[in-house]
Amino acid sequence: MLSAALDDTMLALSDSTRRAILQRLAAGEARVTELAAPFAMALNAVSKHIRVLERAALVKRRKAGREHFLSLNPAPLNQAADWIEHQRNLWNDRLDALERALAEHDD
Amino acid sequence: MNGPIIRISRRFDAPAERVFDAWLDTDMIGRFLFGPHLRDEQIVSLTNEPRVGGRFSYKVTRQSAEIDHTGTYREIDRPRRLVFTWGVDEEQGDASVVTIEITPHGDACELVLTHAMHSDWAEYAERTQQGWTKIVGDLAKAL
Repeated sequence: MLSAALDDTMLALSDSTRRAILQRLAAGEARVTELAAPFAMALNAVSKHIRVLERAALVKRRKAGREHFLSLNPAPLNQAADWIEHQRNLWNDRLDALERALAEHDD
Repeated sequence: MNGPIIRISRRFDAPAERVFDAWLDTDMIGRFLFGPHLRDEQIVSLTNEPRVGGRFSYKVTRQSAEIDHTGTYREIDRPRRLVFTWGVDEEQGDASVVTIEITPHGDACELVLTHAMHSDWAEYAERTQQGWTKIVGDLAKAL
């Protein structure tokens, strides 16, 4: 039911710095140094956050010479949203079925 | 919140006790939690020990694969509150928590189901004012 990929996505999203990085990348490709600029933390710390995002396949890296450009891959977010929606629908269906089962018992 | 949370409320035209008991009665469970009327699945076996610390195992087959939904009852407070862990197959057995809260209203009642998914995520998570479902949904929409 729950894949390792979904686990990685949720782990990646569980931190506000990483969510802010994703929001920034939604506006377009960026260098690591550009991503780090708004945060009061060492470049190394930001790089660690980026690695978590890369492991979850939420961020892609492109090398051009010595420069590394990062961009967003939204597919895992959609998968996570779909999965949560699927679970919600399933519980809704079960509550519908409970309603019917209780009504049948009344007869 | 520590992970994605689903919350659904529903009013039932039945007394709180009947609605509560349905969650522990395997005959009723076979009529609303699992079965071919709900989705493309066949029930293999439904067993439970409805006491705090007791386990349940609800086995179904879907497309010839056997799936065992397992969990442990954490709180049983008839007819107001039932809390159990919920997972699929043994290794994920206790991954998420379902809470059923029932408020009696005469011969009717209000049920609130909360499914806090995958408590494993809790250790990574920070506290946030926003719901998880909203975070994921908003990001997916925005991006």
